Amino acid sequence: MWKYEKKLEYPVKIKKTDPTAAKIIITQFGGPDGELGAAMRYLSQRYTAPTPEIKAILNDIGTEELGHMEMICSIVYQLTRNLTPKEIKESGFDAYFVDHTNGLYPVQAAGVPFSAQIFQSTGDPIADLSEDMGAEATII
Amino acid sequence: MNDREKLLKKVQMYSFAVTDAALFLDTHPECADALAFYNKYKKLCSEAKAQYEQAYGPLDIDSEQNNARWAWVDGPFPWELSAN
Repeated sequence: MWKYEKKLEYPVKIKKTDPTAAKIIITQFGGPDGELGAAMRYLSQRYTAPTPEIKAILNDIGTEELGHMEMICSIVYQLTRNLTPKEIKESGFDAYFVDHTNGLYPVQAAGVPFSAQIFQSTGDPIADLSEDMGAEATII
Repeated sequence: MNDREKLLKKVQMYSFAVTDAALFLDTHPECADALAFYNKYKKLCSEAKAQYEQAYGPLDIDSEQNNARWAWVDGPFPWELSAN
């Protein structure tokens, strides 16, 4: 069970929109090393973790990754507010906009939708730990 | 930065310290120094949260600020520019 705190982990206050930046930053939401994948990785692996300490840390890191996802989504959301049709077209945001408008949809920067194939949960603690180390080398 | 933003920043700062200390404690549950750090910032965080909630509305769904009226639905929501 989870409880929501009605605040971001760190403030996001972007006054100037920038759809070109949003196109790149969104990969940290739905891309192969994004926060959604990170949250799912740890929250899936925790069930078969071998010790109470590892169960606790996977549980709590997985939870915090959801908070990171919320900040990334807030950044993308704020970067793409009130765009004109001209801005959408010229920034190249049009390829995303045609399907999702200003909705937040987990995709890689190149537009490929989020896939659970970007992470692994093997039931083997050493294999999972190796996967986690590889992932953490790339995750913010 | 207005008063609400300043107070929210304070909550976020203490809350971050609490979250980080908790992660450390998960793998070092016997560390007395870390537990003392956690308790210190937990207290500061609770005080800052109570102060914020009293002035600007609930941060938690079980906040006392929801008792008289369901203020939980009031905007802005955290991802909105005006909430930060």
